Amino acid sequence: MQLLAQVTSDAATGGGAEVILFWVFASIALGSGIAMVTMRNIVHAALMLVLNLLCIAGLYLGLQSSFLSIVQVIVYAGAIVVLFLFVIMLLGVSRDDLLGTKNTTRTVGAVLVGVLLAGGLLAVLGADSLTDASACGSLAVEGDGTELSCIGLDEQIAGESDSVTLVGERLFTRWTYAFELSALLLVVATLGALVLGRRKDPAISDEDVVDHEAERALAEITASRAAATAAVVAEGTPLDEMLGDDSTPVEDHHHDGYGHGDHTGHDHSLLPDPGQSADSPTDEDS
Amino acid sequence: MPIGYYFVIAALMFCTGLTGVLLRRNAIVLFMCVELMLNSVNLTFAAAARQWGGADGQVFVFFVIVVAAAEVVVGLALIVNMFFRRGTLDVDAPQLLRG
Repeated sequence: MQLLAQVTSDAATGGGAEVILFWVFASIALGSGIAMVTMRNIVHAALMLVLNLLCIAGLYLGLQSSFLSIVQVIVYAGAIVVLFLFVIMLLGVSRDDLLGTKNTTRTVGAVLVGVLLAGGLLAVLGADSLTDASACGSLAVEGDGTELSCIGLDEQIAGESDSVTLVGERLFTRWTYAFELSALLLVVATLGALVLGRRKDPAISDEDVVDHEAERALAEITASRAAATAAVVAEGTPLDEMLGDDSTPVEDHHHDGYGHGDHTGHDHSLLPDPGQSADSPTDEDS
Repeated sequence: MPIGYYFVIAALMFCTGLTGVLLRRNAIVLFMCVELMLNSVNLTFAAAARQWGGADGQVFVFFVIVVAAAEVVVGLALIVNMFFRRGTLDVDAPQLLRG
């Protein structure tokens, strides 16, 4: 913060700091923007976007907008680009298709439109916009003869403590309703993202999978029990002996599995409870 | 620093973003180019606010950032949905609503 305030105050005095800041950050911002558009790898493009946003934050610093600079770093570079990276990682990196792999006419057309628009904008701005007094219009204040200076933020800030105070005051007095509406907008956007992110197709859900597996297991058990019972009926051997039960013989094997006192050594895990498969064909009680 | 330099840089960045929107076919990159254009306009707002001494320009940039955040949240949810539905991020891929 100390450094930040120092840089801002240096810029406010109109020294060379702002000029250096501008040229460094502007060139990096422009270069990273062009790199973002032309880079083949989508993750690299996202990282170039981070660099671009950070450079714009630096430009805000030179414009005595320290509040905007911090917000830019936190919201854009900290939240939005991370969200981009999340989605890129979620959807996979290798699917990037790049610029105009097939259509050269399209590439030439896009670049042409960009260059034409840039030329048009620069022509409208004109060469005199690069002089000091150009943008002021009627607000120009007579300086000390040679140079004109506008009624800028410097004069405004001179009355206040800093630009954060200025912005906060304006935000909560004149633009209060817009501020509240932006809170509403954020809530609506969050809800919208929740609704959009929900998986809608009911074809595959966890319950269905579990149910199918349970049914399949039940059918297997029933089939094995039916085979065992058929063997019992055919050969006349008791069921428990066939299953290799080494416990004491059971007098009444139709009622096994319910915790009679004489069934202490019986292995219940081999046979499902007859009560749970009441409709199975092996239930000879019914 | 004269305000015109900021305008020039912002104009060049805006054109870069526009070229990217026209050029790229990946929906996510397209979205990032839109962010670039928004940022260049934000820069002109901040520069003009400095020049004319109004805090309103900075307040406007603040609101643009808020709206951009909301837009990114909804847009990325749409892109994820589109990817799961169509299996590609290519905006030129054959559409569902073909004539």
